[in-house]
This record gives sequence, structure tokens and C-alpha cells, in this order.
Amino acid sequence: MSKITKSSTAEYFAKNLQQVGFSSPLKAVLTTLKEGVDNSLDACEQAGILPDLEIEVTKVGTGSTKNTDLVKIVVEDNGPGIDPDDLAKVFGEYLASSKFGRGQCTRGQQGIGISAATTWAQMTNGRGVTVTSKTKGMRKALKAQIDVDIKSNHGLVRSKETIEWNKPHGTRVEFAMDGRIQLNGDGGLLTYIEGTVLVNPHLTINYKLAENDWVKIERVSNQSPDVPEATLPHPHTFKLGEFITHATLYGKVSVSKFLRSGFSRVSDQALQEMVKKHGLPKGLLDKALTGLSEDDYKKIFQAVQNTDLMAPSTRSVLTVGEESLSKSIQRLGETDFFAVVTRKPRICDFKPVVVEVALARFTSRNQDADSPVQLLRFANRVPLQFDKSGCAITWAIESVNWKSYGVQQPKDSLPLGPYVFAVSVTSPFIKFKNASKETIDASEELVQEIRLALIQAGQKLSRHIKREFKEADLERKLAHIEQFGPILVEKLAQLTGANEARRKKAEEGLKKILGRDSKDAIAELEEAEQRLAKQKAREARKSGEDDGGGGEDTVIYHGQVEDSAEAAGGTKKTTEKTTAKKAPPPPPPKSTVKGTEKTTGKKA
Amino acid sequence: MAGGLIRVRELKIDIPKEAKNLAERMLKDLENSKRPYLEAVKTSLDNSFYNSKVGYLTPGDKVVRTELNVSSVQKLARVVFMLEIMLRNLGIGAVNTKRELYYMCKGLIKGNARYKPLDFEDQNESDSIIDFIGDMMKVYREELNCFANDRGGQTYSNQLIVQETMPDGDRATVDLSTLGTAPFMPKNRPQSLKLKAKKKIDFALVIESEGTANTLHTMGFTKRNNCILIGAQGVPSNGVRGWCKLIQEELSVPMYFFGDLDAYTMQNIFRTLKAGSAASLIRNADFSAPDVKFLGVLPEDVKKYDLPHYKVKESDPAEARALKKARDVLENDPFFSDKKNKGLADILRWLIKEKVRCEQQAYFSVDPNDPIKTEKIILEKIKRGSYV
Repeated sequence: MSKITKSSTAEYFAKNLQQVGFSSPLKAVLTTLKEGVDNSLDACEQAGILPDLEIEVTKVGTGSTKNTDLVKIVVEDNGPGIDPDDLAKVFGEYLASSKFGRGQCTRGQQGIGISAATTWAQMTNGRGVTVTSKTKGMRKALKAQIDVDIKSNHGLVRSKETIEWNKPHGTRVEFAMDGRIQLNGDGGLLTYIEGTVLVNPHLTINYKLAENDWVKIERVSNQSPDVPEATLPHPHTFKLGEFITHATLYGKVSVSKFLRSGFSRVSDQALQEMVKKHGLPKGLLDKALTGLSEDDYKKIFQAVQNTDLMAPSTRSVLTVGEESLSKSIQRLGETDFFAVVTRKPRICDFKPVVVEVALARFTSRNQDADSPVQLLRFANRVPLQFDKSGCAITWAIESVNWKSYGVQQPKDSLPLGPYVFAVSVTSPFIKFKNASKETIDASEELVQEIRLALIQAGQKLSRHIKREFKEADLERKLAHIEQFGPILVEKLAQLTGANEARRKKAEEGLKKILGRDSKDAIAELEEAEQRLAKQKAREARKSGEDDGGGGEDTVIYHGQVEDSAEAAGGTKKTTEKTTAKKAPPPPPPKSTVKGTEKTTGKKA
Repeated sequence: MAGGLIRVRELKIDIPKEAKNLAERMLKDLENSKRPYLEAVKTSLDNSFYNSKVGYLTPGDKVVRTELNVSSVQKLARVVFMLEIMLRNLGIGAVNTKRELYYMCKGLIKGNARYKPLDFEDQNESDSIIDFIGDMMKVYREELNCFANDRGGQTYSNQLIVQETMPDGDRATVDLSTLGTAPFMPKNRPQSLKLKAKKKIDFALVIESEGTANTLHTMGFTKRNNCILIGAQGVPSNGVRGWCKLIQEELSVPMYFFGDLDAYTMQNIFRTLKAGSAASLIRNADFSAPDVKFLGVLPEDVKKYDLPHYKVKESDPAEARALKKARDVLENDPFFSDKKNKGLADILRWLIKEKVRCEQQAYFSVDPNDPIKTEKIILEKIKRGSYV
């Protein structure tokens, strides 16, 4: 029999870097950048600092492996800095995290990403990461190279030095690794930066990618998001194994104490119910955790699962907010129009979740009308850029009937057109399909919640599209009258052998009839415009005075969450609207009718 | 020659006169600033009726009314434009196919900038205008001197003699036994033909696949049997339907249909041959063969002859559509809900339940050592009365 050996966590990850986002040279660069930025933003938020980030991704030479370049990736922030004693842990040790399992809506969760980036740099270029860090209390900054000791899963600090740094505090990480730079497309660096900019309105970023010039994007919000306090997990989200592992963290306490302090929503009343209704022996509740057998655990676990518990609190989730999203979206380019929706926090699969959606049509981006919309997915404000087909967000988008909002859509696919669809899911317990956090697992409840947010945003968008459609319809109708009317009369006159006088009279009659039709079309257009104006006014009222920037064509939406509160009402609303549309339109103002008569007469 | 070349039936109306009246009414409406309208028979299943004594689908009272408005002005202009060409054809006794009319219109439209908006993007658009005119005036397309392109109806027989009256009045006689392995085709105006039999003809057999009809003929089927063998070539065209009707009426021979055992064959091919279709409601009287029997492939044949068959792939969109349609016709098609056709509806039900299909060519595999096994089975089935 071969000898059984034990390997360290670092060894495992070093051999399986593809599992954490390092499956190709392209992904390696993106993942490293992502991990650097995530850590910076999380740190800034936790310290209540408005983040100023400087990013540089450039090619500096040829890579050691085939078909790769040596790429330098720098992320510098104005965050609180890292305590010198923690540097080795943060960058050189796997699963060393301040956020693991804490139940907070932070970007990073496990403590794998940045150590994996260090490993990749070390494996492809022989050096780990160079970190410069300065905390508030330090006069000089500490600069060091940190490697991963793969055998022992420990960070090794090399060539440590103190340097002058004109920042009061902050961190700068610098990697040199084999990789390839891709700017655009689903997995592109620019796409990543755009996404990050969109969902972080409080971020100022200055970046240089490849040979391009430095670009600076200023923050549009001066409020650092308030990351809610950590929340305890809800017992209904646990499996038996997890439950037992969770118990080991609590040592020698009684079962009842463990249940009450280790989970949210387990009350004394719930404990009583477990005993009375679900057959949990009362003695077991007082027993110490250390004295429990596997069978005991199973009994307790089953009783907990069978007991009705209050849904978890939604206070632990954080939102970007409609107002901030509205401003932030303008940073991506000039919009034609857009709609944003922030849903109220909901419980999906016993986990609090907030879904936010921004749909926009940009005038300054060259997107094809026949190609699918550009989809930006976010989980805890981190852009997800790979494997979109399996993601809950994609499923939800595909399940919505976009045609009813005037957006083209092939069956069961993403809609088409020059739109950007940004969907953000925030939750302290997001379930990903893999460790590289590229896809949100699609549970029925979550897909439904995202779907409702999309439907609301779609309804807002449809007001604009409908107005455009009515305009085009009027044009088409006027053109029809002009083109076909005379042919119809001419041919009828020929078939009947009618004289010129009859032909003229018929032409007059035709003009009258079709003139009536075009009046109707004008009335419909006006009705659509009025509806849109009402919506604009309503939203302007709600958002207050501070967004006077929206010009004639740029409409800023700040629709209230409340107006979507009737969750399932989304579809119903549409039907009502459609019915309303079919009702005879109100008579158009006199002046317009006159104008049309003139136009029609002249054209026909 | 004016008045048409072929009389499909005794027509009670004078088409040019009717058309002129219609145009007159429309013009008058326009003069009075009233919306002119056109009405046509609604050609859909919900306006189809079936009576087994009549034997084909007949139209109900529903009409489609197209009233002039900004959206329909294009259609009305196109109808009047096409009507003028068709009336001219009728006036001089000229005949054109649908495709020819499409290209004629294109030429006229492109040649005159004012007509440009009428332009057809493809033939479907002009075909639907032609069909609408027929439905509107309740006349056959053929009575407007317009024919579809030929398809199907390849016929083989050693007994059949066909006499055709040519447009100039001359007569042509075709003895089908002299054609070797080549087929006779009735083209799309079978009504201009007269039929005679050299010897008593025992039966006529319509085969779904033209290739199979030719194979049977080549292997001597028509030599050994006093029969008429016809290839339908898929869904029977007007020509094939009119031809089968003519054979039935003139020779009064029993007629059988032999095709695949699947939902598509039953509801699209056989139903159309026997009772016409909803799309051609006003023509079914002269374009269907109500006495034709479904010889097979029958569900019982699959078992009896151990015919190779296979499961329908429901992931295949065409198959899924056919099955869905089968469920639909059982509910809504008056032909399948008629008691007289219970046997045929039962086959559809069996197909929906079993989700299998069996091709007509499966008979060739029954006995690999016997080249004429298919013929033997067909004859045996006719003799036994194994048909629906």
C-alpha cells in the first residue's frame, strides 16, 4: 500500500489554482486585479474611508510560460493600511481571513484570493507580491516582498525595508506574473473596472491599462457605505455536517445556549416548541455540547429544522441605492435613458438578499441592435465575468418576457439591443457555484426575486420605448397614407371606368378617412408622452432637487422601492396598463390636431 | 377563348362583373368619406364544418372583414392592383402561375416609381393576396386563370388512358402503359382531362412518397395489378387533390392511401387528400377525394408484420409540433371529431400515446429475400379489408 501523506492547504491550492480563478493567463490577470481591488474596497469601507484607488496593469516583458507576457499589476489605496505583523498572513497564508463566515456583505469572504494571486506570481515569475503599507500610527511605510511557503501554508516576509511614503495611510500591492491583458468583452479588464465603478458610487479611481493613458473617474457619492453589522446564520440554512462543525466553535456550553447564541432567530419559545411539538428530549437541551453523540446531534438538528422559526433579519444587507446608482451609471457613458430599481431586502432560502437593477441605453457605446444586451452581473458589489449561462441572474433575465416592454428577445435568451443590463445581488451569504465566485447558484426563490426587480425596471424602461414606438408608428402611418392612398383610388377608378371628377372626390374622401386615423395615432403618441412626463415628474419629486443634471434626453429615475412593493404584482400591472392603452385615447389638444390636418393634407 | 380555359365547375357568377361591382362599391364609399371594406370567407378551423355525408370540410358563416385604415391601406391597394391584372388575364384568356404573377407584378411595380410602395418582398406576400381575392369572390384560383406550380400526382397504370383537350380545341390521348417507367403527370388542371380504362381497374393507390410509387411501378406492380398508382409527394397539392377527385368520379374505383404512420401524415397529408383543408375551404368540394381509405401503415401492421419503428424524438421541434398539433386537432378539427372518422382519430390517439413512428418503407424490410413483399402486403391488406 502506498504511503498516505498529508498536504497543506497552500499545497492544495498551488496545484489547483484553476479552481480559484487562475485557469488561463487572461483570467490570472483579471483575478489578481479583482482580488487586489476587493481587499482595498473592503478595507476602506470597514474603516469608513472614501476609497481613492490607483490601478496599473501593464505589460513589462515576456512571460516564462509559452504565449504569455510578464504583466505588472499594481493596486494602491488610501485605506487604513495593514498592521506589519499581519502582512505575511494576509498575503501568504490561505484561509487567513478577517471576514470568513462572519455574515457580512463584504466582497471577500474566505481568505483565498489574494494568497492565490501571490502563489501564481511566485510560480510563474519566482517572486510573490511586493507590498507597501502604512497605518495611521506609522511614520514611515513598510515595504516587503511576501511569498507563500507552500509546504507549511505560511507567509514568508523577504527584503523588508522602511521607506518614506507621502500618504498618511494606505496599501500598495504590486504583482509581476505571467498573464495576458484583455481589455474588452465579458472577461475584459475594462469591463471589470466599469462594473466596479457602477456599483461603487463612492469610489474615485485612477487607472492605466496596457498602453492606454491614465483615466480618472471621480466619485459621485461622498458617503461611504455603511456595512451592516455581521449577522448570525439562520439554522434553516444549515446541513447536519455544518451544524456539527459550527458547534465545535462553541466548546463546552449547553445545547440551548449554543442554539440561542450561535444562530439567529432561535428564541426560548422556539426551544420550547422543539421539545413539545417535535419530540426533542428536554434533557438534551441542558447537556453540554462536548458530551453529545452523533445521534444526539441528529435529533437536535431535525427538531430545529422542523420548528417554525422567524425569517432572518434583513438588516444585515447593504444596498447601493437608486439615487447613487442613477448617478453612477452616468459615469459609464452618455445615456439615452435608463431605469434603476432597488428592491427591499427579502428573504430567499432563509438568507437576506437585496437585488438592484439598472437598465440603460447608452448613446456613446457602439453596441449592435441585433446582438444581446451587455450584461453586468454583481455579487456583493463584485463584477462576475465568467460562466454567465449558469448564473441565477442570467436565468432571471431570460425568464422575463422583454418583448412586452418593447425590447427584442429571442425565445429563452438574453434580450437584444444597445442596452446595458446591470444586476446586483447583495447578501451576507451568497451561494456561489464555485470557489472562484463567478456564478451565483440559481435557487428558485432567488431567481424569482431577481426576476421581479427586472420586471419593475422593464416597466419603467417600456414607457420610453413605447413613446419611441408610437412616434415611429405615426411616421409609418403618415407614410402609408401618402404612398398607398393614391394607388388605391387610381386602380379603383380604372376598374370602374370612373371619370376624373369621381376620382378626385374619392381622393378627398380617402384623405378625410386616413386623416382621422393619423389623428388617432397622434393622440396615442401624446398619451404615451404624457404618461412618461408624469413618471418623470413623479420621480423628480421623489429624488429631490439635487439631480438637476438630467438634460432633455437624459432622464434620471429614482423610483421608490415602495412602488414595487407588491412583489407579485409585476405582471398584473402590465396587463392593467395594456388595457388602459386600448381604451380610447383622450382628445388631443386642439392646436396639434390642426397642425396634423395641415400636414396630412399637404402630404397626401 | 375569353371566360377561361378550364371549367372546374359550373360557375354561377360572372367574375369580371362581380369585380367591377366590388370596385364600384369601394369607390362610392370613398366618395362619401366612408371606409370601404372587403370581406372574405374566414379560412380557418374554427370556421370549418364537416359532414360525413358531404365528405369534405365546408366553410361556416364567419368572414374576415378588412376595412380601410392606415394599416390596411397597403393590403387594399395591393388587392386592387392584383385584381386588375387577373381581370385582364380573364379578359384575354391568358393563364399564369402564381409565381409568374409575382414576377409580373414586380416588373410592373419596379417600372413605375409611383407603384414602388406596393413591391412584394417575396412570393408569399403576393400569393396571399391572390388567395385573398379568391376567398373574397368565392371563386377558385383556377377560375381566375391562376395556377400553382406543379407538384406531385405522378401516375402509373397499364390500363388508364387520358384524353386532354388542348387550349386550341385539339385532343391529345395518352396511354399510360406506353410510358415505361416514366410517370404521367396531371399537372395542375386535371379538370381538363377525360379518363378511360382499357380494362376494369380494381383500385387506385395513392402513395405518400413519390419515390416509393415509382419503385413499386418499376418492380412490376402495375403489370401484375389492374390499378392506378399515384405518388402524392407529401402534402397533396391542388393538382393531386383534383386528380384523385377526377379518378374517383369518372372511374368509380376504390382508392387507398398508403403512407407513414405518424401524426403529420395523418393530419396534414391524408386529411387534406380526403376532406381538403381549412385554408382551402371554398375549394374543397372540387379538390378532395372523400372516399379514399387509409390503408396504412396502421398501428396493427406494426405488430402483425413486425415492422421496424422507433420512438419520436420529442426534442425535435418538428416532431413536437406535429404531436402538439395532433392533440389540438383531436379537440378542434371537425373531421377527426366526426363519428365516421373515429378509426382515424383512434390512430392519432395511439400515436400520441405511444410516441412512435413507422415509415411506409418499413414494409421493404419485412422479408429481405422477397423483393415484392411490400406489394404482397398491400394486396393482402386490400383483400382482407385491413384499412380505415
